[in-house]
Amino acid sequence: MPRFAVTFVRYVDALNYRIGRIAMYLLFVMGAILLYSTLSRMFFGIPINWVLEMSQFLLSAYYLVGGAYALQMDQHVRMDLFYGRLDARRRAITDAITIFFVIFYLVVLFGGGLSSTNYAIQYNQKNYTAWSPVLWPIKTVMTAGVFLMLLQCISSFIKDVAIARGKPIA
Amino acid sequence: MSSEAITLFMFGTMMVLLLTGQRVFGVIGFVGSAAALWLWGQGSFEMPFNASFQVLNWYPLITVPFFIFMGYMLSESGLAGDLYRMFHVWFGPVRGGLALGTIGLMVLIAALNGLSVAGMAIGATIALPQLLRHGYDKSMVTGVIQAGSSLGILIPPSVVLVLYAMIARQPVLDLWLAGVMPGLLMAAIFGGYVFLRCLFQPRIGPALPAEERAQITTAEKFALLREGLLPLAIFAIMMGMFMTGTTSLVESSVVGAVLSMLAAWWAGNLNRGTLEKATRDTLGISCMFLWIILAALCFSAVYDGLGAVKAVKALLVDTWEFDPWTILVLMLASFIVMGIFLDDTAMLVIVAPLYIPLIRELDFSLIWFGVLYTITCQIAYITPPFGYNLFLMRAMAPPEISLTDIYRSIVPFFFLMVLSLIIIMIFPQVALWLPAVVNGR
Repeated sequence: MPRFAVTFVRYVDALNYRIGRIAMYLLFVMGAILLYSTLSRMFFGIPINWVLEMSQFLLSAYYLVGGAYALQMDQHVRMDLFYGRLDARRRAITDAITIFFVIFYLVVLFGGGLSSTNYAIQYNQKNYTAWSPVLWPIKTVMTAGVFLMLLQCISSFIKDVAIARGKPIA
Repeated sequence: MSSEAITLFMFGTMMVLLLTGQRVFGVIGFVGSAAALWLWGQGSFEMPFNASFQVLNWYPLITVPFFIFMGYMLSESGLAGDLYRMFHVWFGPVRGGLALGTIGLMVLIAALNGLSVAGMAIGATIALPQLLRHGYDKSMVTGVIQAGSSLGILIPPSVVLVLYAMIARQPVLDLWLAGVMPGLLMAAIFGGYVFLRCLFQPRIGPALPAEERAQITTAEKFALLREGLLPLAIFAIMMGMFMTGTTSLVESSVVGAVLSMLAAWWAGNLNRGTLEKATRDTLGISCMFLWIILAALCFSAVYDGLGAVKAVKALLVDTWEFDPWTILVLMLASFIVMGIFLDDTAMLVIVAPLYIPLIRELDFSLIWFGVLYTITCQIAYITPPFGYNLFLMRAMAPPEISLTDIYRSIVPFFFLMVLSLIIIMIFPQVALWLPAVVNGR
């Protein structure tokens, strides 16, 4: 495979691995703030209004940003009636073709994310709640997560082509 | 093209593309976003992304990673091993007892996690090797584990019922309570089947040999019983806090996750390794689950926009003049057929907007329908080609279990599940009794 493609795969995989490892610990951040608000309400009678929304934002960041790492671990389920019977090379060939459906979807998602984020920045969009947080930070994170997913799909396309050629990228 | 034709075309394209084996979320998202762009052009460009805000606003989804984490923590912590041991010594002396004990184990684990993955992991790695070593018939026991672990989505806490509750706008607690009795009924039906088969064919499920029984002291037996109380205590605390309104649904899921960590610490198994693995697996499964919801929302928004909901209703009620029960049976049958191609999450998000208004109009209970839906999901979990439990079993089963064994093992359990479904259809009280009792306090 061309040098730049191999370098691309290395960098993207390493990047998504690191980011994914951080994203997976967002679970504990979510847990901690929810626990904090529970205890505060139960023992001091003080409800904390930003916690629920914050944990909604965190969940969105968790799965959108962590999605690429899950893709690396091959956790996104497939229907493998026929796929499961193929050998590694044929799987790679099939994937190298059908990944474009996924890429198409991710490009539309990403485009939508960009325009939605842009709108949020331009009009300083806020959530209609008591806390009324500005929305651009979370939209930026979500859009970035989609972008990382897109990079990971391109990386897996390159790896599949390499396997199909019989020269896998180690 | 008419809206019905477009909807059919979308479903058809989706089915065909799914057969290529590309990731489910990608296929559904592609069909949804491509159809939106084709139908409405530029204006619908943001639609797929906006689905992410629908996901964000469904705040009960926050429970998903916590209920999954709870199950993984349990299987990583070694607690599951003690639990298995408890059922092993108590049920072992009976014919088929180890398989019966495994069903008990699956019910307990179902009460401690929101999906079936943890039950499968525990069943395949802890119970299965033991069962095989004791000479149990491999095709029966793989069936027991697959069917038993599917109870994870029916017995509370259930993530599938949380998702259903959001879509059908019904209280989560009622749905969870409605799942309890059907779950226990199914466990009893599985147990009855195993018991009867082993009664007539002692060969497939021998009792523990006398010498092994002699090694187990009464003191050990009771010590193990105490281990079994720990998971029950976790369940009781979590559900108790939720039912009394002390904690909200989301908070209860966090309480459950914390308690499962405490239990692992108590057993001396909370370390970097177990914590890391549970956290990583939780991310993997949660991402899979939530990306599918994201894509499926985009898909259903398209045919919702086309007015397919009205079209289907007009077709079934006005044109064909089906009576309510025929429609209900058709709906459930369509779930089973679609479950062959699609995973249950996608199916729910995609089809529920079509069915739920209809169910409401036909004056059926939406709570009851949620339970029926969940049981059809369980059937889908174990039926090839697209069954989560089948996938997991293939990935985790010991090498002496072949694919044929796995496929053959599910046949009787498929019929037992259909039987349970029919019982609950004829006697809705099985599901609706407990919520009525609790609400009538």
